[in-house]
Amino acid sequence: MTTDHDIAAVRVRTLEHIVEHEQIWERMAAQYRVTNPVPPWKTSLDAMCDALDEEGEALPVLTRREDEDRISREVYSSLPYPENQLVALAHSLVTRNVINETELADRLEVVRARLDVAGD
Amino acid sequence: MAETDLGASGHDTHQHAGTAPMVEEVTDFEVLEIALRELAIEKGLFTAEDHRRYTEHVEQLEPAAGSRFVAKAWLDPEFRRLALDDAIAASREMGVDWLHPTGFGTPSDFTAFELLEDTPTVHHVIVCTLCSCYPRPMLGMSPEWYRTPNYRRRIVRWPRQVLAEFGLYLSEDVEVRVEDSNSKHRFMVLPVRPDGTEGWSEEQLAEIVTRDCLIGVALPKPGVTSDAVRPLHPAIRPVTSD
Repeated sequence: MTTDHDIAAVRVRTLEHIVEHEQIWERMAAQYRVTNPVPPWKTSLDAMCDALDEEGEALPVLTRREDEDRISREVYSSLPYPENQLVALAHSLVTRNVINETELADRLEVVRARLDVAGD
Repeated sequence: MAETDLGASGHDTHQHAGTAPMVEEVTDFEVLEIALRELAIEKGLFTAEDHRRYTEHVEQLEPAAGSRFVAKAWLDPEFRRLALDDAIAASREMGVDWLHPTGFGTPSDFTAFELLEDTPTVHHVIVCTLCSCYPRPMLGMSPEWYRTPNYRRRIVRWPRQVLAEFGLYLSEDVEVRVEDSNSKHRFMVLPVRPDGTEGWSEEQLAEIVTRDCLIGVALPKPGVTSDAVRPLHPAIRPVTSD
């Protein structure tokens, strides 16, 4: 984990594209007339945060939480909760060099293709 | 997207009146959550089994911690003071660490936790008008109704009416305060200890502090416990073998 630069100042284009697409839960739920106030991936995100905190050392718990607060506020202020929590975690992992942005972009394509095929 | 109520789930036989069960479109955020998780697992940050275990744990939390917390506050004046001054420290004293919540779920979005003290003339009730923020390390997962627009929108505007819908009728001389939670601030109600519980142990008291009492849509009563036997109705037309 690198800490010698201001992670809020680093732009992560891959995440910016996701933000621009605006598929936030509030809008999607209204479109499909679903009443769940939080998206179905929320519990999985919580478990991922727990697993990162407890099982690994790549992103210490206090660093992760401070990043989440700061990045949500300073970089992704247009996003509501919990989308801002998820994107802030991704931003933190990328800018702290735990995950490479290119491999994240590649994996997004792979996962998207896999899920789209499953829905055909 | 489906044009009608019937087709929203993609199953014509699976009908829902006016609402769909779930969004039938994969969002970028859903893809991002999966991609991050897969990469983290591949890098050895945690295992798939770790993730499954934490997910199951988060989804199965119960309100037992909150019940014990209130029972202890009723019995121990020093703990009560601590609970009202610094609810996080009080939580830690009884084994719930909001900062390192392994064993109690993951309020990863948590910053502050506060106890709302009821009196004979003030009653508190909690809500999250934005989504479903809830003190999970204390109460487990929120009930379905807590997440509905019906509750979230109406409890802040017509609290007495909504409380009455839960069977809780408060007299006019009781002030109702609705506390709105958010992703950084969680609340729990400290109800008034009911009459008829004099001399009870912490375990006995904890049994009557049900989840709904801690949210504020019910009041603790001797004899009414979260472990109450569910009513079993006999079949009107039972199947007989002859």
